[in-house]
Amino acid sequence: MTMEPEIVVSLNGVSKTFRDFWLRPTVVAVDALSLGVRRGEVFGLLGPNGSGKSTTIKMILGLLSPSAGEVRLFGLGPRSVAARRRLGYLPELSYLHPFLTAAETLRYYAGLCSLPRREASRRTRELLAMVGLEEVANRPVGGFSKGMARRVALASALVGRPELLVLDEPTSGLDPISTKEVKTLVKALARGGMTVLTTSHMLADAEDICDRVMILNHGKSVAEGRVAELGTSLEEFFLAKVGDVQDFALAPFLKG
Amino acid sequence: MMAFFDIFQLELRALSRSWSLAMLSAASAAWMLAVPRLVVGDGTAEGMREVCLRYGLGGVMALVTISMLAAATGSLARERAAKRLQLTMVRPVRYFMIAAAKIAALASAGAAVLALACALAPFAAGTAAEGRRCVHVLHPVMPSPAEEAKAMYAEYMKSPDTPEAVKKARRSTVLRILETRAWDRYETVRTNSTARWRFRFDGVEAPRSGEVLARFRFSNVNNARQDVAGELRLGSLSAVVSNLTQAVLVFPLADRGGDAGEEGVLTFRNDGKDALMMRPRRDVELLVPADSFVWNLLRSWAEMAAVVTLVVAFGVFLSAALGRPVALFTAIVFLLVSEMSPSVVEQYPDEFGATLSDRIGLMVARTVADATHPVSSLSPLERLSRDECVEPREVVRAVAINVVALPILLAILAAFILPRKQEE
Ligand SMILES: Nc1ncnc2c1ncn2[C@@H]1O[C@H](COP(=O)(O)OP(=O)(O)OP(=O)(O)O)[C@@H](O)[C@H]1O
Ligand SMILES: [Mg+2]
Repeated sequence: MTMEPEIVVSLNGVSKTFRDFWLRPTVVAVDALSLGVRRGEVFGLLGPNGSGKSTTIKMILGLLSPSAGEVRLFGLGPRSVAARRRLGYLPELSYLHPFLTAAETLRYYAGLCSLPRREASRRTRELLAMVGLEEVANRPVGGFSKGMARRVALASALVGRPELLVLDEPTSGLDPISTKEVKTLVKALARGGMTVLTTSHMLADAEDICDRVMILNHGKSVAEGRVAELGTSLEEFFLAKVGDVQDFALAPFLKG
Repeated sequence: MMAFFDIFQLELRALSRSWSLAMLSAASAAWMLAVPRLVVGDGTAEGMREVCLRYGLGGVMALVTISMLAAATGSLARERAAKRLQLTMVRPVRYFMIAAAKIAALASAGAAVLALACALAPFAAGTAAEGRRCVHVLHPVMPSPAEEAKAMYAEYMKSPDTPEAVKKARRSTVLRILETRAWDRYETVRTNSTARWRFRFDGVEAPRSGEVLARFRFSNVNNARQDVAGELRLGSLSAVVSNLTQAVLVFPLADRGGDAGEEGVLTFRNDGKDALMMRPRRDVELLVPADSFVWNLLRSWAEMAAVVTLVVAFGVFLSAALGRPVALFTAIVFLLVSEMSPSVVEQYPDEFGATLSDRIGLMVARTVADATHPVSSLSPLERLSRDECVEPREVVRAVAINVVALPILLAILAAFILPRKQEE
């Protein structure tokens, strides 16, 4: 399967064990995971908190090295500059440089993608308009609300016109209207030929945008399939695979 | 390559928008202007000038080194802790460029603050800088102490006066002892005899009457400074030496007629009552005119900036591997040890009679002193304050090693570590 040319991201038996200072294993965050993301599809990586979604994404990006198995990005090692040239990444939280303005942030990342100055300025304007931040373009992002920061981060993921967009919970911190806008945007980008790999807890959102999903639990893949072929809603499918809500132990508090 | 400038700019923006750079500049300027008012000199304008250059610029140098080290140890570590670094690392940028751009940015900031302090130096010193010239300090042409040590080795080991313990020691230890001795080897000039030292005047003006000075530190056999009398000669120039009691004596050589001596050879005829002793490698110097004070100040700035660059590169390297507090602590300890080790090494050339722990200490000090030699050997301020020339070839060497070679090496190492250091 990894040999097929249209596979953009491939994981082959990938595991990640986090270790403490004395190198004793603390958590097996990802366990013998194999997956392939095909060119042009929107692939959803779903799973409860702590199931290893972000860890998987960081290995795909070369930010973490797998303890076992192999990760290929465009058929290359994830740390190769050539692979990184074709990549856009929106992290779980926005992690912006607080002292830069929105426009400077985008221009900085445009520069890292080797966009020429003129083009970088044009792209910055274009993207700020797209995420609706033109009016605050020259304010330091340190003062932005969570949702505004999220938009800046999303715009900077798109600045280098990536072929593969990796989104870690793209809608976290966004209001319902913005969520809808982001979903519309992702769908439009996918129609334009971009490959998208996204994680989400929002099953309804994932159902709207994903072509294919994989459900993780405790670092293992528990199910994989095309959304259109599930036969039930994604939520029912998810709950059936991951097990029902593990109730919070609220009862003692409520009684008291 | 464009990414280099973007990261460079980002780092400078971080410094300037947090006001760190402004505060550092203000503190440096204030220190330069305050030092002449705070420090009590010996009352002379010359003394004040020395205070300004040594303590004023020296203080700014210390301030800039520590501040830039703090910034450098935070550069990668803090961005990693704030998880911002990953956003740069997933872009098509070589990890080497990330480290190199940060080193370049912090080094430039440090160099700029030093430049400001240097620009204030002539004002703070109060005395006019224009027209002031510095001098080249020339030493007699002799084999280097290391060469001399090698030449003496066989004979020294055979000599019955050599202690048995030394004879059993390793060759490198014995050579080190002999090298220290060569530095301090005294030459005796008996009454009515003449000592000669050859000098080479490559790349400096030929000695002219009234412009060339001889600088001596004499002692007699009892190591007291007294009753010095005699005559100095260099080609057709000469000077009379008589009954001076200062530690360091400077004599202008002038055309005073008489027989011309050998070209390029300085002679001293001892006409006094006592035999005199001096260490030719330390106590005999010729001073010939060099360029202006301003050029010398500029070269001193370049040397100091080179030191700051290397310190910054070291800090950035540490911050690729370690968290901020650990990196800063490590860097400061290393800096202190490297400050101290040259004097330790000088004071304890051998380890005879030392306990095991002293031996280990000496070994560490010696290793650090060797490793940090390119930095610690640069101390231009003392020479600047004495109007001695900071030689251009020394500056070129400092730039090649401290600004180019070592920072590139450290950036390569940082680039190797960067992706392997997993985020916490
Ligand atoms: N740097 C780390 N060191 C140690 N353990 C880690 C580290 N990062 C993640 N983990 C552990 O790995 C597991 C998977 O974490 P991960 O962040 O991948 O989950 P996730 O699926 O993204 O969860 P969420 O939905 O809450 O974002 C968790 O148990 C987490 O505690
Ligand atoms: Mg996550």
